Amino acid sequence: MVDILAVNLLTKTFGRLRAVDSLTFEVREGEILGVMGPNGAGKTTLFNLLTGVYKPDEGDIQYQGKDISHESPAKRCRRGIGRTYQIPRPFDKLTVFENLLVGAVHGGGLSEKRARGKVQDILNLIGLMSKTDHFAGSLPLLDRKTLELGRALATQPTLILLDEIAGGLTEKEATKVLGIVRKISEQGITIVWIEHLLMMMAEGADRLLAISEGRWLQCGDPKEVMNSTEVLDGYLGAEEE
Amino acid sequence: MKKAIYNSRWYVLAALVLILGIVPLMGDQYLLFFCMLFFLYLALAQMWNLLAGYSGLISLGQQSFVGMGGYVVAVMSNYYGVYIWLGVLLGGVFSALLGLFMSLFIFRMKGVYFAIGTWIFSEALLIWFSNWEYTKYGMGLFIKPNPNISMTEIYYASLIVGVGSVALVYGILRSKLGLGLMAMRDDEAVSETMGVEVFRSKLYCFLIGAFVTGSTAGILYIFQVFIQPYKAFAIDWTVKLVFIVIIGGIGTLEGPIVGAFVFVLLSQTLAEYFSVSMLILGAIAILVILIAPKGIMGTLQEKLGFEILSPRRK
Repeated sequence: MVDILAVNLLTKTFGRLRAVDSLTFEVREGEILGVMGPNGAGKTTLFNLLTGVYKPDEGDIQYQGKDISHESPAKRCRRGIGRTYQIPRPFDKLTVFENLLVGAVHGGGLSEKRARGKVQDILNLIGLMSKTDHFAGSLPLLDRKTLELGRALATQPTLILLDEIAGGLTEKEATKVLGIVRKISEQGITIVWIEHLLMMMAEGADRLLAISEGRWLQCGDPKEVMNSTEVLDGYLGAEEE
Repeated sequence: MKKAIYNSRWYVLAALVLILGIVPLMGDQYLLFFCMLFFLYLALAQMWNLLAGYSGLISLGQQSFVGMGGYVVAVMSNYYGVYIWLGVLLGGVFSALLGLFMSLFIFRMKGVYFAIGTWIFSEALLIWFSNWEYTKYGMGLFIKPNPNISMTEIYYASLIVGVGSVALVYGILRSKLGLGLMAMRDDEAVSETMGVEVFRSKLYCFLIGAFVTGSTAGILYIFQVFIQPYKAFAIDWTVKLVFIVIIGGIGTLEGPIVGAFVFVLLSQTLAEYFSVSMLILGAIAILVILIAPKGIMGTLQEKLGFEILSPRRK
């Protein structure tokens, strides 16, 4: 498989804290790469670096062979990098339909006429067809999470970054979300997925990247990574504390 | 029933514009004057609403464009004999160019710094114009329209900018730019990661706002006949626009319409009590902020879902 994303010696510091520290890894086209690490490991900072919210202090990000390290978030989105947020951040005063339309028109580059058809397909996929005209601010957590997924999908991505998409959900709800993630993956879209629910990672991810204190710990088969000494020391040990 | 009323809104609005179009034929000079002021303030407020209500740009320097529009009309007409309505358009163009120049500096600032930046520019312009021989220092200029125009012509020009400003903002909100603006209004950072070009969208709105404000001010100063820097570049202009938009409903298309009507009505009613009129207007603004923080139309939209000109997609 070809690498769609390559991260080389990526570093981001906030004052004296090295949130991401010389991190190097690659993402293969079409795979689901899980990212695990204890709280404060730098997972969300990594996503913010990949989407252009933060600019790196050192290192670079290659996307489909192009250096995108200094491109704006909007440009990266139009290149095909979509994302969801750990705490859902829908456009509250817009309807579910309009939330998706923003992604399809601006990120996906579709005309509004063409975007409407695309949005209908996504609404069907995420199961929010009956709530098309509901204001996003009025939705319960599960719907907000699925809207996050739908909105990222509306930008016509080739790579989606999922930030704890199942966090805060019941087991039943999490299973539903996992089902949607699988359907997205079946469309050939590459996924990088941060999740605290390790069983979900073991079930859903093709490979697993473990990081701690912003540094690379292990990367490979999910079960092997979870059972490796470095990860048990750096991650599970920290959890027990 | 509700849907039928909603669908007939275009006919109602067209009828309303037609009625406003025959006001000069009614022969009531006060009504003519009242409606003219209403249209002019509506256009100015609609532009401030486009900036503050949709683009997240709190400008305290709209008077820069008011002064620029007014002075361009005066200079073009008096010194170069330019056709007066062309002068109005040039006032808009020069204001937009001024906006472009300002943006080089103030678009590096955010939030309150942006607001202060716009204000500083207007103060600098005030000082510049009050010390500039070309525009007769602080003494100001009498505007001699070329050719002489009637009150009816000024009225129709005001009608065009007033109704045009509403149509323009409606058109923007229904466009790709507007969809992005509404997303930005809710969450700027997220909208950017969804492909919305935040900087470019803001710049477009700032320039459109500058153009319309400058043109509108040109018409206003043709009516007022006299322009002087201390009035033209005074922050009072922006204070009035903030009042109109806040009481009408920020971030709603109908808000400036209601706000401009209330403002012109109150300011005309209280004109005899000039010394206390601003106090009363201020007290009303505070009352509205306390009782209905989203303004009259914002509250109606929230409580009753009442919208006449909805930019909503279905």
